[in-house]
Amino acid sequence: MAKDSMTPAERGAAIANGEQADRLPCNPNIANGTARVYGCKISEFNSDPQTIAKAQMATYERFGSDSLRIFTDLFTWAEAMGAKVVAPEDNTVDLETPAVRTIEDIDRLEPADPYKDGRLPVHIESMKYLKEYSEGIMGCSAGVVGPFTNAFFLYGVDDILKLCHKNKEAVHKLCQVSLETCKAYAAAAMDIGLGPTISEPMSSCTVVSPKVFRELSLPYLKQLVDFIHERGFNPVIHICGQTDRIWKDVADLGVAGWSIDNVASIEECKATVGDQCKIMGNVDPGSVMYAGTPLDVRIGTLTSIKEGYDNPKGYVCMSGCSLPVETPFENIDTMMDTVREVGYPVDPEKVDWMLDAALKERDGEAD
Amino acid sequence: MANKEELIAELSECVVDLRDDEVADIAQTYIDSGYEAYDAMFYGLVDGMNKAAQLYEEGEYFVPELLICSDAMYNGLDVLRPHLKSGDLQRKCKVVIGVVEGDTHDIGKNLVKIMMEAAGYEMIDLGRDVPAEQFVTAVKENGAEAVGLSTLMSTSMENMGTVVELLEQEGIRDQVKVIVGGGPLSPGYARKIGADGYSNTAVEAVELLDDLMGYSA
Repeated sequence: MAKDSMTPAERGAAIANGEQADRLPCNPNIANGTARVYGCKISEFNSDPQTIAKAQMATYERFGSDSLRIFTDLFTWAEAMGAKVVAPEDNTVDLETPAVRTIEDIDRLEPADPYKDGRLPVHIESMKYLKEYSEGIMGCSAGVVGPFTNAFFLYGVDDILKLCHKNKEAVHKLCQVSLETCKAYAAAAMDIGLGPTISEPMSSCTVVSPKVFRELSLPYLKQLVDFIHERGFNPVIHICGQTDRIWKDVADLGVAGWSIDNVASIEECKATVGDQCKIMGNVDPGSVMYAGTPLDVRIGTLTSIKEGYDNPKGYVCMSGCSLPVETPFENIDTMMDTVREVGYPVDPEKVDWMLDAALKERDGEAD
Repeated sequence: MANKEELIAELSECVVDLRDDEVADIAQTYIDSGYEAYDAMFYGLVDGMNKAAQLYEEGEYFVPELLICSDAMYNGLDVLRPHLKSGDLQRKCKVVIGVVEGDTHDIGKNLVKIMMEAAGYEMIDLGRDVPAEQFVTAVKENGAEAVGLSTLMSTSMENMGTVVELLEQEGIRDQVKVIVGGGPLSPGYARKIGADGYSNTAVEAVELLDDLMGYSA
């Protein structure tokens, strides 16, 4: 952290005002890897709100990353509505069984109460700690899953995929009750002062068609975004996999940022929606950040910067998706240090030069 | 009596057009008419699945559509299967497939299995979250000539390498082709762990294995 001369808050404000800053914002997207930084078991996040917040802060202190977010896994909301999850001692929670199995049972689902159900109260509580710890350093956010994706975990992934053709009414019902849960949770977060970010992986073009997305997911996503806007916040949206055919739909919701995965192109995203929202991404979290060498990370980071730095509405250097828990610290340091070396404002010739040198070095290693 | 070619064409259309609840009746009419089951399977159901795969490649179809097409294909196969001659189903080698340990996401693996089955491979599906040893045991027990490994989780990627290592330790690495796929992977990673190939989609996986096994024309 001592490596940076500005706090993330100062940096963000300076860039927004067109003033001099030390570097681009950078969010490696460390996810539950924060447990490795802080030195706790991942399962502690399921019950100890203070640990979630402290692990976030420890990660900022270790890497200087420009993001603090309360989010442990995709299943907290479905769990709070009756789905069963597996919670390993030291790994990320996974879905075990969905909340309902039959069309008839969908009517029995109730929206979750963020102050009462499942692990949601733990998360709400951790927001208060994080808000307190991060005062003056940066704004923090609360991750929430989108209504369509949450519906998948209420009904089961394979089964709801078929319902997208066979019984759209059922999907609408699942999305509606999910939306109520998402709104209640987002409201609780905003009451504490955290801005929601939305993850909507099942809306990806890698999973469903743009047509299905527009009919069954987008209307609910829009209501969630509108709800957040009404309260004076503006969310970032992350969707994994390929998203090129729905960039415009999501940007038209008036969101603050589009966080895209490594299989999507920053260059093309910039051309499509760069005048509407910030673009965030898209260093490959698996092959590069987790399994690559520091040199691979340097190349990946420079490539993203080269494509994104001049996005009209701004750019954040980020991993394409949450990092695997065991991602080497050395690689995360390399990502941050590369962004520091590039500096701000970004000089494209310098980035080209750095990238060329790194690529030559890798070719040399290959010989 | 219904025309054979028309029935075959209708079976194909049922699969492509997501008409999974109509296909069994048509297959039954076909069988009742005394026609060869193999032709309905290969030129009807499998043809329809191949067309669906083509639409998937072209970005017209996505995962929900492919899942329903495959339901249609299997609904038709259930009717035809008792009438197939031995050897009709398996026209290519046996393939052991599964999601490696640490990962429970199996949509990708299921799509590959569907496309491989449609292409004539005999699939031995080990499911998801499969320990490396189990792949090796299944290869030995079934005399499989290929192994398909899948994962969506980058944390499980290294378990693919473990499967390759175990095949080597058991001295049977040379007898099987190992292909890998899944969100976080790349061709470079496949090479790094000593796999024979990587494919980006379920359709490419079939082409890849056809190439590796020498089935390509």
